Amino acid sequence: MLRTLLTAGICVSAGAFLAVAVTAVDISERAKKLHFSSIVVDTHDDTTQRFLGGKFDLGPRSGTGSIDIPRMREGNLSAIFFSIWMPSKITGPEAVDRALLQIDAVREQVRKHPSDLMLATTAAEVREAHKQGKIAALMGVEGGHMINSSLPVLRTYAALGVRYMTLTHSGNDEWADSSTDKPAHNGLTDFGKDVVREMNRLGVMVDISHVSDKTFYDALEVSKAPLLASHSSCRAICDAPRNMTDQMIKDLAAKGGVIHINYHVGFLSQEFRKAEKADPALNKAIAEEVRNRCGDNEGCQLIEGDRLTREYVEKGQLPKVDFAKIIEHIDHAVKVAGVDHVGLGSDFDGANMPYGMEDATKLPSITEALLEKGYPEGDVKKILGENTLRLMADAERVGRELNATPQK
Amino acid sequence: MRRLFALLCVSCCLCARLLVSRQVSADDVAERAKKLHFSSIVLDTHDDTTQRFFSKDYDIGKRNPDGHVDIPRMREGGMNAIFFSIWIDGRTMGPPAVQKALDQIDAVHENVRTHSKDLVFCRTAEEVRSAHAQGKIAALIGVEGGHMIGDDVRVLRMFGDLGVRYMTLSHFYNDEWADSSTDKPVHNGLTDFGKDIVREMNRQGIMVDISHVSDKTFYDALEVSKAPLIASHSSCRALCNHVRDMSDDMIKALAAKGGVIQINYEKSFIDQPYKDAREKQSGGVVANFDQLKKACGDDQECFGRKMAAEEKQATAEGKLPHVSWERIVDHIDHVVKLAGPDHVGLGSDFDGASMPDGMEDCSNLPKITEALMRKGYIDDDIRKILGGNTLRVMEQTEKISRELQGQ
Repeated sequence: MLRTLLTAGICVSAGAFLAVAVTAVDISERAKKLHFSSIVVDTHDDTTQRFLGGKFDLGPRSGTGSIDIPRMREGNLSAIFFSIWMPSKITGPEAVDRALLQIDAVREQVRKHPSDLMLATTAAEVREAHKQGKIAALMGVEGGHMINSSLPVLRTYAALGVRYMTLTHSGNDEWADSSTDKPAHNGLTDFGKDVVREMNRLGVMVDISHVSDKTFYDALEVSKAPLLASHSSCRAICDAPRNMTDQMIKDLAAKGGVIHINYHVGFLSQEFRKAEKADPALNKAIAEEVRNRCGDNEGCQLIEGDRLTREYVEKGQLPKVDFAKIIEHIDHAVKVAGVDHVGLGSDFDGANMPYGMEDATKLPSITEALLEKGYPEGDVKKILGENTLRLMADAERVGRELNATPQK
Repeated sequence: MRRLFALLCVSCCLCARLLVSRQVSADDVAERAKKLHFSSIVLDTHDDTTQRFFSKDYDIGKRNPDGHVDIPRMREGGMNAIFFSIWIDGRTMGPPAVQKALDQIDAVHENVRTHSKDLVFCRTAEEVRSAHAQGKIAALIGVEGGHMIGDDVRVLRMFGDLGVRYMTLSHFYNDEWADSSTDKPVHNGLTDFGKDIVREMNRQGIMVDISHVSDKTFYDALEVSKAPLIASHSSCRALCNHVRDMSDDMIKALAAKGGVIQINYEKSFIDQPYKDAREKQSGGVVANFDQLKKACGDDQECFGRKMAAEEKQATAEGKLPHVSWERIVDHIDHVVKLAGPDHVGLGSDFDGASMPDGMEDCSNLPKITEALMRKGYIDDDIRKILGGNTLRVMEQTEKISRELQGQ
């Protein structure tokens, strides 16, 4: 039994190794041409946490995690939203202070690598960066708890370049309910609605990943700009509250929004989710081991969580999820809402990646798979980034219109 | 020797010409001064008006019956560039200080946005000149006290990114890394970390402001900084012996490295008899400040309001002497005599200090130009004092920042 498992493990490793060679080099000429001439946007990466220790730098190729400049280049990840994140339990001025330090860390990385990175705050700037052969660095704040219920703080983030805010993280904040907490506000409070309105005025996109279904519908009603789900997948395929129902996806799309598919195996695969739920002790063991390895270092926790989960998969204790699941979710969302409303929101460096999508170098596989499914090239480009750029431009236009009210 | 004689002759001729022109028409000066003043960039490096943005009664777009600064009065006084001061009481530190500072920075940006016909936010000397060319008032930001960065250079960088263009290293109390002139020294000037802060300010193009700091902190900053320093709102100790003011040696050392002292109009800093009387009456500015803190708590707008009211009453009761606005000109003139016309500017402390008679608000600023002209100052020198010198330091700071960032 043990022997079988080991053999299987070896086979899997060999397969993974082979996959590296295939995806990084051997995709079809057509897919390669298309992928590397497209603007590929990823709306959610937790790499920011890795900057905080002071040891990690985007410049050299790293042996861990999913993101660095060489690997972004190799996978043509042309625009990346660095996530500003801390657990929901950190609130008040401390949350504000910590968010600033993360924003600074992103901006410092851009200052440090001026020939590779360019800070972008508009769709036009993303296109300009691409034209110059640079990677566009953008920022999203993952959780409304970081504004400490203050519109001035929200405006400060916007002034510093933040271009979306997720209304909550895993816990409710003071003015919005999360999908993974007990509802306390029945969606958005009145102040929460003001936050959405101010985001509209500032051209900061409203992100409804993580929020409760009621919060989503409240935001959809209040927002004058289309919404995004920066990193959520389809509930019809995997029944996680973090994912969106078909009806939600349709309603989001009807107002011009975009769902960005999250690659986290627990959100992609019902089988994986079931296995996790069936064995709480396993989750606990992983959590404990992560804590042993990382202490309170959140950047380390995210990376090690992914690595440890892999170890359990290799041991056969959790099911193996292939990157084809990502394609399944993209295809499902396209069928539900049309090809203009789906994008990529990997959750790299913050989640457990499926086999074949270990890091940014594997992104061309998505292009290849979509072409194989018969998607026209124009549609593939939309999914890779054009839909997100359209959404950004819409949010900017709404911001300009709202600011055009008479001045004193 | 011969050269000296020639120089003497030239200056005699100049004096004679000035005398003649004065005799020809006394009112001509008033007219010329007005013309000069209203065609110049008049840049004030320190205004506490920011605190008023948090009061419902205050609108910078309207003429206000109290305080010193609003758009109508800035227009009337030709004040067309203003540094809004970000200030919180120095006992507040850490993350709460950071967030309060952010709230104030946001308030400046919001006031600029909602009064965009008159105000334009500026980060560089070039932007100030461009604002002036468009007939707009340039709004800039300075952070008054290193305690607001939460002891973290990264927060300082964020302030820079938000448009902050100078930081005063301390306020009335020492912060974690710099001694104040009005507190007991604990760091012997700047700590090593304090020196790193100065270096990072250089790199970010944020001017290093040495108003409020102890003499040792000043000399440490002078040694470390690659860019010239400013004293955003300090006056001359030779004329009024207050620790908040600068000694002649300090002014000379500041000037030798290209810096500028912007004269503060606070009566306690410009007039010795007033300072003595005030100390007798209320224990001086800092003690007075502590009392106000007790009375006002966290309501910062209350500080200015209460201070003005108490001061007014004490003056009415004859406990404090009257001080004329002309003392401001004495201080300017003292610096010019000491260090030349390239190293002095205006740092009123409007809305944060007690103003002398005749300088009740910013609409009175043209008086300074006229007084300098009557003293025989040439137009170019007056323009420097009104704003040109400060713009020069801004430009040099920007240049050094570019060099340090390797651009």
